[in-house]
Amino acid sequence: MILTTDLARLTLITCALIVLLIGLKRGRRWLDVMRVLLPTLVLFMLVAGWSGGYEAAFGAALRLIALAGAGVAFFSTTPPEELGDALLASGAPSQAAFLLEGALRFTPMMGQLAREVYEAQASRGFRFDRRNLLHNGPLLLTPLLISVMRFADDLAEGLETRGFGSPQRTPLAEYRLSWRDWTLMGATVLFAQLILW
Amino acid sequence: MKPLVVCEQVAYHYRDGTPALHRLDLTVEPGEFVILAGASGSGKSTLCRLLNGLIPHLHGGHLTGRILVDGQDTLHTPPYVLSRQVGLVLQNPEAQSLATTVARDLALGPACQGQERASIAARIRDIAAMLAIEPLLDRQPGALSGGELQRVAIAGVLALNPHLLALDEPFAFLDAAGATQLRDTLRLLHQRGVTIIVAEHRLGEVADLATRLIVLHEGRVVADGAPRDVLAHDILQWGLEAPPLVRLARAAGIDAVPLTLDEAMEVLPLNSDLQHPLPTLDDVSSASPVIAWENVSFSYGSRTVLSQASLSGASRNIVGLLGANGSGKTTLLRLGNGLLRPQRGTVRLQGEPIGKRPLWDIARSAGLVVQHPRRMLFAPTVQEELDAGPRAIGRYDRAWIDHVIEQCGLEPFLNRSPHQLSAGEQRRVAIGAMLASRPSALLLDEPTAGQDATSRRMLHSLITSIARDGMAVIIATHDTEWAYTLCSRWAVLGSGMIIAEDAPPAICAQAETMARAHLRVPAIEALRYMPGRTIAHLADARVI
Repeated sequence: MILTTDLARLTLITCALIVLLIGLKRGRRWLDVMRVLLPTLVLFMLVAGWSGGYEAAFGAALRLIALAGAGVAFFSTTPPEELGDALLASGAPSQAAFLLEGALRFTPMMGQLAREVYEAQASRGFRFDRRNLLHNGPLLLTPLLISVMRFADDLAEGLETRGFGSPQRTPLAEYRLSWRDWTLMGATVLFAQLILW
Repeated sequence: MKPLVVCEQVAYHYRDGTPALHRLDLTVEPGEFVILAGASGSGKSTLCRLLNGLIPHLHGGHLTGRILVDGQDTLHTPPYVLSRQVGLVLQNPEAQSLATTVARDLALGPACQGQERASIAARIRDIAAMLAIEPLLDRQPGALSGGELQRVAIAGVLALNPHLLALDEPFAFLDAAGATQLRDTLRLLHQRGVTIIVAEHRLGEVADLATRLIVLHEGRVVADGAPRDVLAHDILQWGLEAPPLVRLARAAGIDAVPLTLDEAMEVLPLNSDLQHPLPTLDDVSSASPVIAWENVSFSYGSRTVLSQASLSGASRNIVGLLGANGSGKTTLLRLGNGLLRPQRGTVRLQGEPIGKRPLWDIARSAGLVVQHPRRMLFAPTVQEELDAGPRAIGRYDRAWIDHVIEQCGLEPFLNRSPHQLSAGEQRRVAIGAMLASRPSALLLDEPTAGQDATSRRMLHSLITSIARDGMAVIIATHDTEWAYTLCSRWAVLGSGMIIAEDAPPAICAQAETMARAHLRVPAIEALRYMPGRTIAHLADARVI
């Protein structure tokens, strides 16, 4: 049922999502994502169309559009750290909650490390253009790996100094279900019923 | 009073079997301010990690003896319980700020203790007010300066309200402004009753604040007492350097141990001979420059870092590029070897503009040694590390590389992995790897950051000998005490421009320039310009 190929249903879902996105003022964000996804979308349609005809092609496209829309709607309205807090509040282990926040905090840092390694090696005259990348790759990978592992060690110490090993953890935000949440959940169930059955 | 820390016959071997501490006995009373001094590898970091249980709970290894913190045996108490007694601030504050905003980061510790949300919020407010970091609360840790990040890291462990604050080499990467702020923070915390242990080899930074100085050498306590008494010993034998003022007094043949400028003023008679070696190389800025930045400007997006900066370095010249953290020193160096290209202005190497010359070609003329050697060391042995660069740019010369090995003192490690070396040895391998390609200009980014006294001395003589070989050397640093006797010329960066350029003593005479660039005045010059002493007095007295 979830994997429906019925074009009418898919169109309805996609339209509903677009209305939702515009209502949430995330329409532009979604368009940006779709622009990046456009080549994938075309490829997707071609492959599906090749094996299953027009209907399959449009079905595949609508599905991708709907998925991207749902992703944008969720992640643009829910900051990962709040998602972590919510998970924590609903009883998930604190490590899982930290994973979300930690990824957000340290991903840019890893990029910075990679840039520093590249700059250090390029300064020594090593070349990393297309022809030399394969041969000189280890020159980037080894220092990067060692720097990252070293950082991971430091991070483990950093976490321990803050008492992270403790079994307790107070969620930093409190989440209570209000009438709006119940309404939204009711509407979602109703909509799913209408579409899928 | 019950002692806060008791170490009884503590011995520790790392997981790989290397001994770190030998039968250590130590007691720390509440309210003490202890400097734990020692060269790299003396065991001071290990001792810090023993206090809050990171050793052995996280790092493993073989531990014998007993450590009691606030009466709790660390061997049987997990780190998260000990974190309520001991706040440990590590060398890399970046790895201690763990959340997406400063406020969320400060909340992490109390949250892990299961405190109430309201009391967590109150605690964060108190700590932020005490350390004056309220304006940072909503900012992202990644956007903070090194000094700010460190204050946040201190706040993060203080949020747990520990009785003991231990800091592992907190001054290693701070500029003068950051160091002054850290001193103020430590003094304040000590006044509020927090017991403080600072593991450090830059003794001048805190010697006057501390109540006690413990010297570790090869895993043993070799001296323990009031800072003034310990500093009266010859601490050089333990790989440590006395604070600059103490060295000056000793050179003048005076027995007293002055820890502050005022004390130095009292003990050093006006006509005493203040001996301080000056650079032996002449400034030959009139000669045609090997490397020159001409009115270069550079911005990252809307943030202007350099605007119309000009600097040049000639053969056999050592130029110190000085400025606060974030003043654009690193950017200027990166423009010098083509990693960045100026948005306005020209960079010339041997008179030729670098224009669009590729990096690998520029590497024959200008070599940049980055601040963290770990970012560039990749080879299985030091020898291969040294050979790789010259081979890549087609300039392999066996005899020259052998000369570099001797110059940098790398013979003992040639067949060892560069990753297993100490920080000081790694720094020399990194410099050697650049030298091996025989560039005509060598650019060094903060070479003394995180280096102990022995290593700083070795770097001092290494760089002098590199300049004697005919290279132009440009050093970005805020270590003025070290650069004072090394450089023939100082160029000071401020507001994106070179705001002053002259011989080090002449720059020190410009009080406004030094203050504007957050530079510390070297001890001898600070004494020279103390009120009540005229310049003529000391100029006559000084033996050069």
